[in-house]
Amino acid sequence: MHKFDYVKARSLEEALTALYQGGEKACVLAGGTDLLVGFRAEDARIRHIELVVDIGDLTELAYIREEAETIALGALTTHAAVAASPLIREAVPFLAAACSQVGSPQIRNRGTVGGNLCNASPAADTLPVLVALEAEVVIRSLAGERKVPVSRFLKGPHKTDLQPGEVVTEIRFDRPHPRSGSSFIKLGRRKAMSIARLSIAALLKMGDGGLVEEVRLVPGAALPVPARVTAAEEVVRGKKLTRELAREAGEKLSQEMVRITGQRWSTPYKMPVIAALTRRAILTAGGLEDVTAGSEA
Amino acid sequence: MSLLDLKLKVNGKEYQVRVKPHKRLLDVLRDDLHLTGTKEGCGIGECGACTVIMDGRAVNACLVLAASAEGKEIYTIEGLEQDGKLHPLQEAFMRHNALQCGFCTPGMIMSAKALLDKNPHPTREEIKEAISGNLCRCTGYQQIIEAIEEVSRLHRED
Repeated sequence: MHKFDYVKARSLEEALTALYQGGEKACVLAGGTDLLVGFRAEDARIRHIELVVDIGDLTELAYIREEAETIALGALTTHAAVAASPLIREAVPFLAAACSQVGSPQIRNRGTVGGNLCNASPAADTLPVLVALEAEVVIRSLAGERKVPVSRFLKGPHKTDLQPGEVVTEIRFDRPHPRSGSSFIKLGRRKAMSIARLSIAALLKMGDGGLVEEVRLVPGAALPVPARVTAAEEVVRGKKLTRELAREAGEKLSQEMVRITGQRWSTPYKMPVIAALTRRAILTAGGLEDVTAGSEA
Repeated sequence: MSLLDLKLKVNGKEYQVRVKPHKRLLDVLRDDLHLTGTKEGCGIGECGACTVIMDGRAVNACLVLAASAEGKEIYTIEGLEQDGKLHPLQEAFMRHNALQCGFCTPGMIMSAKALLDKNPHPTREEIKEAISGNLCRCTGYQQIIEAIEEVSRLHRED
């Protein structure tokens, strides 16, 4: 087990001061479900850490609020809280779905949305959804506050734009339009307690006559960083949604994945599977046919 | 690295411990408080053998620093027995042969207790979901689910 000094922050200011003083040798501890695994493994990424700043008791950073069509999640909101939130289930069901599938009940009771974001695993469950929502990350430091779109905050596998001395305090996004449908599908080696082998987040805004007015498709565990695949979105945008079009968009996303990541050992598996997941997610979000329930899923 | 003086509330009692900062709640429960019912199965939050209840929620004690647990209400398997009388979950597990080697059992029971404390009459699906973070290599889970179902039925008859 990696060894370190520890301070429990009793206020955000205290945390920011400790992080500022610790510089690159300090790190934030929230739920600990990723960090403690890393410490136990003496992970190369955190072996330089000498001071752990525990912000877990800063309850003022755990909230789910809506202010004028903008939904704001405090960074310390647990996955369990998001999954159970009536607001999130009503307004952003695919976020509740993603959070409800992170790890296990025990993990979800401790793991936070801020932590999931800052850990920036390519297979993270909440990130495809947050990217599809075009969420914004609010970051505080002693120098003040800054906001970054989540797509720019994520820089690479396990790499974010978070600088020494900074803490993510909030993740915010616009409430999806009432005529939107969403879907999040995760495939893991098990039905529970698994890391995504592949996932997909889809957000569609439907117009009259089954027209796709707006579409966002973000695969997970498919690209180095969860990102929208605009070439696949183009296949359905502005057109009347059909099963054939959804299938085509799935194929296109699959090809884009290989174009971006190159051929890997997992490609023969991932190509047809991400195509199928994308197709199903588009149809579900577009209200055509829900294949995410039952034995057909 | 300076030692930490921590006040921990476990099973309704307050304990004072002095530990190194990297010590996990699991370590302090077992090594300092000698509450060895909570087991280390994997140490990375994937098996649930270390499940305890912290502020009313099931958590993996291997992923909580002891220092983080200060100020919280912690319940372990040892806290279930009252005045020499076993908890209904413990009795049901025995009646239903819901354990063989017993290694997963404390964590399994704590996950079940956390469920029933919030949802006294869960469906079978809700029970399965509540124990989805607890691995058992011996029983095949059926007896575990039936034991929990029986306790939830008992609650209904109260």
